[in-house]
Amino acid sequence: MRSTTKNTLLKVVILGDGGVGKSCLMNRFVSNQFDEHSFHTIGVEFLNKDIEIDGETYTLQIWDTAGQERFKTLRTPFYRGSDICILTYAVDDKTSFKNLDMWRKEFANYADVKENNQVPFIVVGNKSDVPTEEREVSPLEMETWCNDNGITSCIETSAKSASNVQEAFKMAVQHWLKLESRADKSETVINDTVDLSKKQTENRTSCCIGSSDDK
Amino acid sequence: METEPDEYHDCFMQDGVLLKQAPSSHMTALNTIGTLYIYEVTRSGESCNKKLLLEWKQNDITVDSDVQYQEWAVVNTVQKRIRTLSENMPEHHNRSKSLKINFDEIKSFKVCNKNRQLTFYDGTSERICGFLFQHGNCEHLVGMLKTILKVGVSRRDKQIYVVYDSNSPEFQELNRSFAALNLKNEDNSFWHMFKHFKENPYEGSLGAFAKVTNFVYRSVEGSDPDILSRDELYSSITELDDGVPHSGGEYEVINALPQLPRRKEFPRCNPLTEEQWRSQFNSLGQLEDVDSIKNLIFRGGVSPTIRKEVWKFLLDYFPWDSTDLDRQQLINKKNEEYYVMKLQWKSISQKQEDNFSDYAQRKCQVIKDVNRTDRTLEFYAGDNNINIQTLGDILMTYVMYNFDLGYVQGMSDLLSPILWLMQDENDSFWCFVGFMEKVMSNFDIDQAGMKEQLTQLRVLLSFIDPVLANYLEKHDCGNMFFCFRWLLVWFKRELNQDDILRFWEVLWTGYPCHNFHLLVSVAILEHESEALMENDNGFTEILKYINELSGKLNMELMLNKAEGIYNQIKEADHLTDSVRSILGLPLIGTKNRGSEEQSSQQESPFESPDLSTPRTEPCCSVDNVRISPDEIAFEKSISSSFL
Ligand SMILES: Nc1nc2c(ncn2[C@@H]2O[C@H](COP(=O)(O)OP(=O)(O)OP(=O)(O)O)[C@@H](O)[C@H]2O)c(=O)[nH]1
Ligand SMILES: [Mg+2]
Repeated sequence: MRSTTKNTLLKVVILGDGGVGKSCLMNRFVSNQFDEHSFHTIGVEFLNKDIEIDGETYTLQIWDTAGQERFKTLRTPFYRGSDICILTYAVDDKTSFKNLDMWRKEFANYADVKENNQVPFIVVGNKSDVPTEEREVSPLEMETWCNDNGITSCIETSAKSASNVQEAFKMAVQHWLKLESRADKSETVINDTVDLSKKQTENRTSCCIGSSDDK
Repeated sequence: METEPDEYHDCFMQDGVLLKQAPSSHMTALNTIGTLYIYEVTRSGESCNKKLLLEWKQNDITVDSDVQYQEWAVVNTVQKRIRTLSENMPEHHNRSKSLKINFDEIKSFKVCNKNRQLTFYDGTSERICGFLFQHGNCEHLVGMLKTILKVGVSRRDKQIYVVYDSNSPEFQELNRSFAALNLKNEDNSFWHMFKHFKENPYEGSLGAFAKVTNFVYRSVEGSDPDILSRDELYSSITELDDGVPHSGGEYEVINALPQLPRRKEFPRCNPLTEEQWRSQFNSLGQLEDVDSIKNLIFRGGVSPTIRKEVWKFLLDYFPWDSTDLDRQQLINKKNEEYYVMKLQWKSISQKQEDNFSDYAQRKCQVIKDVNRTDRTLEFYAGDNNINIQTLGDILMTYVMYNFDLGYVQGMSDLLSPILWLMQDENDSFWCFVGFMEKVMSNFDIDQAGMKEQLTQLRVLLSFIDPVLANYLEKHDCGNMFFCFRWLLVWFKRELNQDDILRFWEVLWTGYPCHNFHLLVSVAILEHESEALMENDNGFTEILKYINELSGKLNMELMLNKAEGIYNQIKEADHLTDSVRSILGLPLIGTKNRGSEEQSSQQESPFESPDLSTPRTEPCCSVDNVRISPDEIAFEKSISSSFL
């Protein structure tokens, strides 16, 4: 039942340290699979996936690159023209969380975003399934960091258990839609930074585990 | 639909021309191959009523793409034959489609894609039609057009030629220029030139074109070009030896693409047997005939029973001329050396590590990556796998062995099959060191080595399959980035374990030339070229297609093809030093400036070519293929895919 009037192609870039689970997130979202034995990424990979929001279909073109610093010059060219950037860390890896700032800057530097046009960042804390004793970053720390950096959407996910993965991508698109409509109204509305997304975060975190039955 | 028995006279024809854009009436002929003609129609009875027509005709037979790619047709200049409609015309219409263009309709035309694409416009910015020249380029045709139509380069876009209306002031000026040519014949129009051209097609046309284009440019652009003499032009043509169309200058030099020799088959042979191997050792345990051993390995690989031993030679752990005794001593020495290095990092305390972030970072990445390396192989499967542990230990020891390089993603892929085979930590380490020596530059800090490889791949591809190379160029894939993974880890991610063992041992022989893996890449690209160029594929589609080839490659077939390609290159008359240096063939020096310019252009998708750099010594051409590690330029070149 595809009552689509238009199909928007959105370019999504997933960034974050090596090993935080970028590829796993992408594969969970696109094919609902989790491969414990997947390889680390070499070069650049991407996958397409349709997502439906409020009756509209969006095709997400998700780009996944290698996280190691060494490959920076080969990675950054792919940022250009992105519509959405997903900043990823692993909740059991404090360093990867600390590096979010570096990733955000690297992206902003190379994405070549049009004037008056923000690229929506969303922050994803992956591996939420790890036992509490292995956790190094709390949800509160994530929210604080986001607040400090003017990022309104964040969510904890687990590519392994499939928790919140669909939600994360949906959130990214919704966030994009919000910015898009704001851009359309050409800056008239400035103060509508409703905490909508954050409420959604909480809602979803509590209710959406295991709901990602795409297919 | 000509009804009268007109007389046709071919002035020009070029085959291998793909119809890229066409009016709706010719949609079905799109992307098919045909021949372009310019011919003169003489209405019977009125001998002075001549008319020129441009016609594209679909080829009757479907062209066998293999043949087509291998044998570049020489641009056919002038057909000295007159034919009449009644006799030969059927081939103009029969079965195949044809598309005729009246020269009056053409208001401008655009030459792009390195002179391989030509589009005609009718003045309302509607395209009449567009062609892609698969054999050679359209420079010759453009030369013809410049004489038939009075054209000038658009000020807005250098690729666009505007056809002047005969009433425009510019045209008047042009006409005066033509008068200034002082042609001795009755009129100063195209017809005179054309006659001359027919009598002496090659030289004559060039001289004439040079003059015409010269005046066209002068009057339109106000530049002051040096007038090249016919001799100069002629000699620049006869000396061309690089087989790549020249463009860029204001003098469109027409040259025919040289042919590559026929591709030969090089069927793969049986692997080196234990018997063959043993029989090569003398009483001291020294290998007698290393070259023929390497050659056998190159042809067929190594049989699994002796692989463990042979790899130690191939990976320069054991010197090829060593004796049994040498090797025994070597093993002891290397063993000790290894464990000393291993102890160095094993004895770093947690406290030290916390204060040694460069080290900690490397260690952290190693641990992350070994856990994601070949876990599907039984050898590396399962939790707390001891071999994963060893894999990590070897990589960490390598970090101590070469701390500046450290650990770079991809190295675990290179080590994994070695450890799988050797099942010995010390042996694996030293073999890995040998492998790293061969591919060290792939892991450069600034990725200069990878950029260079991608550039070299592009040079080789344009030598072997210019149509594909050209397509990639045009579709923002000239940086060849989509082959990154292939080259970084030598197809480790594309082949299964059995194939990778065979493939690597073949490559390690260093036969038959340097960078043979690049020729394998060329072979694959050529093999897939049809699919790659389908549906006007752009960078994303091509990247996706290439990524998805993983697991589907026929390694033996590609080795066979790659060797065929190597032999074609080696025997090609137009072999250039840039190609020679990539393959490590002896350089012979380049004869003329023209081809140098071309090669430097060919070599650097990552930076704007510096045409003025003179090449003094032949040996310097190695520098020519090394591109500067200019990151910004490189990024730009990749970014262009997303503009
Ligand atoms: N527990 C847990 N482990 C995960 C999760 N997602 C990924 N992993 C594991 O984390 C490791 C790294 O995942 P990848 O997806 O390869 O990481 P990446 O960010 O793509 O890393 P690079 O390709 O090196 O940049 C893998 O071994 C996964 O099994 C998760 O949600 N929970
Ligand atoms: Mg990855």
